Amino acid sequence: MENKNKYWKGIEEAEQHPEFVKSKGNEFSDALPIEEMLSTLDDDLSANRRDFLKFFGFSVSAVALAACNKASVKYAIPYIEKPQNVTPGNPNYYASTCASCNSGCGMIVKTREGRPIKLDGSNESPVSSGALCATGQAGILTMYDINRLANPLENGDEQTDWAKIDKKIISKLTSIAATFGAIRIVTSTNNSPSFAAAVNLFKQKYPTTELVTYDAVSYSGILIANEKSFGKRVIPNYNFEKAEVIVSFGADFLGTWISPVEYTKKWVKNRDPKNGKMSRHYQFESILSLTGSNADIRVPMKESKEGIYVISLYNEIAKLAGVAQLAVTQNAELAGNQIKNSAKELFNAKGKSLVVSKSNNPEIQTVINGINMLLGNYGTTVDLDNYSNQSKFIEADFEKFVNDLSTGTVKGVVFVNCNPVYSYHNSAKLSEGLKNAELVISTSISKDETSKFAGYVCPDNHFLESWGDAEPKNGLISFTQPTISPVFNTRQVIESLLTWSAVMPENAKAYNFIKSNWASSGEDVWNKSIHDGVLLKPELTVTIPSFAANLSDSVSKIVSSLPKSDTPELIIYQKVGVRDGSMANNPWLHELPDPVTKVCYDNYLSISKSDAEKNGFEQNDVVNISINNIRISEIPVLIQPGQAQGTYAIAMGYGRTESGKVGKNLGKNVFPFVKTENGSYTYNISGPISFEKTRKNYVLAQTQTHHTIEGRDFIREASIGQYKKNPAVKNENKLNLISLWEEHDYTKGHKWGMAIDLNKCTGCGSCVVSCHIENNVPVVGRDEVILRREMHWMRIDRYYSFYDDGTILTKEKKLNKVDASVYDNISVVNAPMMCQHCDHAPCETVCPVLATTHASEGINQMTYNRCIGTKYCANNCPYKVRRFNWFKYNDNDKFDYHFNNDLGKMVINPDVTVRHRGVMEKCSFCIQKIQAGKLTAKRENRKLVDGEIQTACSSSCPSGAIVFGDKNDPNSQISKLFRDERSYHMLDEVGIKPAMMYMTKIRNTDTTI
Amino acid sequence: MSVIDSVIRQPLVHGDKNYHDITTDICRPLENKPTKLWWIGFVLSFLFFILLVVTLTYTTWVGIGVWNLNKTVMWGWDITNFVFWIGIGHAGTLISAILLLFRQKWRMSINRSAEAMTIFAVICAAMFPFFHMGRIWVGIYWVFPIPNAFGSLWVNFNSPLLWDVFAISTYFSVSLIFWYLGLIPDIATVRDRAKSKMRKYWYNFFSMGWTGSVRTWARYEIVSLILAGISTPLVLSVHSVVSMDFATSIVPGWHTTIFPPYFVAGAIFSGFGMVLTLLLIARKVLNYQEYITVGHLEAMSKILLLTGTLVGLAYITEFFIAWYSGVEYEQYAFLNRAFGPYWWAYWTMMSCNLIAPQVFWFKWARTTPWFLFMVSILVNVGMWFERFVIIVTSLHRDYLTSSWAMYSPSWVEIGIFLGTFGLFFTCFFLFCKFLPIINMSEVKSILKNKE
Repeated sequence: MENKNKYWKGIEEAEQHPEFVKSKGNEFSDALPIEEMLSTLDDDLSANRRDFLKFFGFSVSAVALAACNKASVKYAIPYIEKPQNVTPGNPNYYASTCASCNSGCGMIVKTREGRPIKLDGSNESPVSSGALCATGQAGILTMYDINRLANPLENGDEQTDWAKIDKKIISKLTSIAATFGAIRIVTSTNNSPSFAAAVNLFKQKYPTTELVTYDAVSYSGILIANEKSFGKRVIPNYNFEKAEVIVSFGADFLGTWISPVEYTKKWVKNRDPKNGKMSRHYQFESILSLTGSNADIRVPMKESKEGIYVISLYNEIAKLAGVAQLAVTQNAELAGNQIKNSAKELFNAKGKSLVVSKSNNPEIQTVINGINMLLGNYGTTVDLDNYSNQSKFIEADFEKFVNDLSTGTVKGVVFVNCNPVYSYHNSAKLSEGLKNAELVISTSISKDETSKFAGYVCPDNHFLESWGDAEPKNGLISFTQPTISPVFNTRQVIESLLTWSAVMPENAKAYNFIKSNWASSGEDVWNKSIHDGVLLKPELTVTIPSFAANLSDSVSKIVSSLPKSDTPELIIYQKVGVRDGSMANNPWLHELPDPVTKVCYDNYLSISKSDAEKNGFEQNDVVNISINNIRISEIPVLIQPGQAQGTYAIAMGYGRTESGKVGKNLGKNVFPFVKTENGSYTYNISGPISFEKTRKNYVLAQTQTHHTIEGRDFIREASIGQYKKNPAVKNENKLNLISLWEEHDYTKGHKWGMAIDLNKCTGCGSCVVSCHIENNVPVVGRDEVILRREMHWMRIDRYYSFYDDGTILTKEKKLNKVDASVYDNISVVNAPMMCQHCDHAPCETVCPVLATTHASEGINQMTYNRCIGTKYCANNCPYKVRRFNWFKYNDNDKFDYHFNNDLGKMVINPDVTVRHRGVMEKCSFCIQKIQAGKLTAKRENRKLVDGEIQTACSSSCPSGAIVFGDKNDPNSQISKLFRDERSYHMLDEVGIKPAMMYMTKIRNTDTTI
Repeated sequence: MSVIDSVIRQPLVHGDKNYHDITTDICRPLENKPTKLWWIGFVLSFLFFILLVVTLTYTTWVGIGVWNLNKTVMWGWDITNFVFWIGIGHAGTLISAILLLFRQKWRMSINRSAEAMTIFAVICAAMFPFFHMGRIWVGIYWVFPIPNAFGSLWVNFNSPLLWDVFAISTYFSVSLIFWYLGLIPDIATVRDRAKSKMRKYWYNFFSMGWTGSVRTWARYEIVSLILAGISTPLVLSVHSVVSMDFATSIVPGWHTTIFPPYFVAGAIFSGFGMVLTLLLIARKVLNYQEYITVGHLEAMSKILLLTGTLVGLAYITEFFIAWYSGVEYEQYAFLNRAFGPYWWAYWTMMSCNLIAPQVFWFKWARTTPWFLFMVSILVNVGMWFERFVIIVTSLHRDYLTSSWAMYSPSWVEIGIFLGTFGLFFTCFFLFCKFLPIINMSEVKSILKNKE
């Protein structure tokens, strides 16, 4: 029923009063005085209710939105005027020369928005041939070191005005020169033509000046032997690629010896079994070096007796060659008659063999020269014409300098790129002598032991801020160009020298000076050389030198200096990474585990298991050592399988007292043990060594504590003989697993994969550091490494196996029962390990929040934003490659490394997120590099070229063991390697289908080649 | 439900009690001032609870790094404790649900406290999945359906961790409702006896207006039965799901199909172990020997014997299967458990869980409270070690030998573990003080002495 009732508000409505009708639309019966009120305030404010609500809503939401935003970024300053060639977000690359050691590798510097962020090897330079070692790559952080000197120092006080300091220095130099006081420029091996020119100008101004070369590590044995043998005081060019048989007496040429990247590149050329022929590499050594761990036949040898073994090798070869033998009472032989065997093989490969020695004894090196001469290796594997300038240090010069200092004849000293107060064996004498000098100038880039004694510290630029040239090899000029303007108020040494030589300020500029030195070659050559980073002069034709040394004289000297009894000996060696300790403040190098021992952050007394049992030492025991009244207290013990019995080894480069906060007092300094013998430094100190075991215990930070494969199948190796019979040796059993998971569809686009050749990988650690830098991996420090929390995305697993009466032992249970001497016969496999990007990744299925997922191109990806840190993925990863951010590793005083200061953070790669605490991270196959490569190809409207995209690890690998590429391209190198019979998936039986393949290690161990 | 009471059977409640006795006996701790013993226990527990708060705050503030987990062993005491507490949380529901369905009348004087224990244990357990996360603040996004701006962020239904979330939250809510439902008539009794206004108000509030009419009783019975029906599969499912955290992985030692039944047996075993421990204390302290009789203890020790032997059988089966599978990693994992660096954990587990309960073949052992107490403690210890053995010894040596590592807890982890006991006992002491720990209304139904 329809309701017809009507209701009124009042009588006015019922009557439809005209006034009511008029005001019916208004909400309020009387007009509100709002308008009036507002208009009295300000005419512009007048707004009706709707507008008011609109404004109100807008402002509330605007405030809310604004509040959501974080505080503005403090340091991002846009270009007001965009520099040419610099596009934010796009990297620029410059060719330059690495100066982290004396090798002089060519490098490519990657810069982003004007700051260098990554160093890679340059293809143009024959020294680096596209690779850079761990130490070299880490050099970039030395520039961003917060402990660098920001200003010159005068008597320890900072001065900002160079002119003032220059004035004082010039007046002092002038007065010294006027009174005929000697001035010495002490530099590490410097092969820069421009530096030499600058020194000459300096000499002209101050005629009493002389240049003294000082290196922490001496190769003078080779220099002097070559002078004696051939009249050339040089280090020869060793052509490892031409050698079919290599015998190395302790020379760690793949790790630390002279020019390791170059030698690795050359050595590896003969290590591919595909060619049917692999070089045979003998290594006779005391410590288990990186090179020894890669040798086919490695025999432990006491270094102190090396001389007699070298003579015996000579004699064995002489016997075969039918020439006169050297007169010794008895030839010595190593275990397994390996001297005789190697002599036979060397002789069979005459002209294609090579014998090298680590010994710094010129007499032993003379005999080595004699052997190479006998084998006809000069002109083929040993080249004295295209010689190396990588070491020029002769002890006698420096010893004379120290004596002159003590007697007070030297009045002025300039130290360039060297730190002898730390590394000179008689540091007390040197520092006392420095007090006699009127003027001591250090050009160290940060405070060090030597700069403490310098009245003036005129900090050098870092090499990434410098102009320069170098001639590491005869005929190879390698140029340095700055990639950033000096971070601090520092000045290049060359400019300092020129300024003090009163050269016109304009000409004293390093760029002008160096360019003027090359003016004769012309502008085009200069431009091209700077672009390429190198200037290659045509190689000289190799001549065969005539041998002039008196071998019997050397032999008698060697024999007389042989240790009389079987005394223990201490060996001082260079560790991969830290090397001579000049970069001791670089956290990347300390975090890099030693390739052999896997110890980070310390040096230690390395001893064989037999000696440990004999002395009652256990791993991590702390002992005091004294030899000839020199004492080192409290050094931890490491038991090293493969080390020769009776030898004790400690790495140099530690125990810095004046370094930044990272390197200070880390480890112990063993340079004081270095002895002078026959005029050369010897790093082998035999004689009574007294050990005193303390009650302390010091845990060494090792990233790997289990060293054998327990008889498992994930590392495969075979001998070359087995390989020749069956190229698929050890890979015969192809698994045919049924999977419950659906296969991914990779038919379109790319499918990324990686192949790692266990045969090529030397374990040098270059990839580890490269990845560390590229992917902003935090440094966690010693304590965290002890807790097994290193963050490295990629690591190199190092596995030992032992031989006992023809059986190979890898099981812990059995190894615990065998005699300690079994630990001498060791063989090593290095297996780089990172995320395998499994197609059926076990990590992906267990993540509750899909933070780790599979990409269409076969990459297992981490989405950091999603990760909540349950850590289940890491538990379920059979390769244990996932790393968890246990703490906030940046801006945290507990982790006071480069992530904790603004300068250090400049090295951060802007393409890679710095991870938050509580998230999981792992290898991404350098997804940022893949994306950049794809974009470049797309922009240029072309297909990707194989090899165009390289991951950080693959690009840095000196031996080319790591190959990255697109599996969908059948002609790519990776596809070819995947089809190779040697390739296998590690842990294939788990059924996770990794995207990476490893290639069986082939050893050239068969008795006959 | 007409049940014929046997005249020759021992009565389930001793001491010739009548209805009034029961009410006064059980309400006594609630209505009297707390005893000295209660205060000591409560303060001690509360101190440990504070330790829990401190250690958890520290962990969340600084990072999971304050624990000693490492790149190889990413779960340690945290998940061990989680599984341990979840296991303990199984007895309550089993007693109240399964034994209810099986009409086991003896359960009536123990089910309340067992259920309370379940709830407190699940609270202790559920804490760990939260706090073991690296980013708990982000983790809350997926546990609770808070709207977010991450786009189509969806959880991974393949992940057993997600199943855990569902399993545990379901179990917790059902257990809580079941427990609370059973409490309502008793709360009403307390309300009716209350003298102070405050007390009356609150007990009235929580009794939800219980009148005790026949209709409410009938509904109460029906809802109990339905909830028992719902709970029964949960008893089996929760620990099965928890076991899948391990079973679905590829870690040698975890990847085992036997895990679900094995874990359920273990959970019941550990649950009864904890119930025994608690009740042995409670009956002594609160003088409830006549309600929680030796008969109860004996029944529970028989269950311990059964489940302990089942668990032991599972241990041996695992070993056999590892050998029989021919998988070298599995074989190594199990040999490593027994003879590797963590052998002591394995043999502690074996002796506590398999060997110790075998004493219950003897009646003396089943009926001597002090001895039972000792064995129940051993069971608790053994079951904690079982989880430690499964988690840590499987992880610390898996496929690639290079990553093998050892793990030992930091003080923070130990503090958190002790702290969970603080939380558990704090809750339990409060429960003893404010709620009747024996179901009065149900116990009244099993009195032989009916007036």
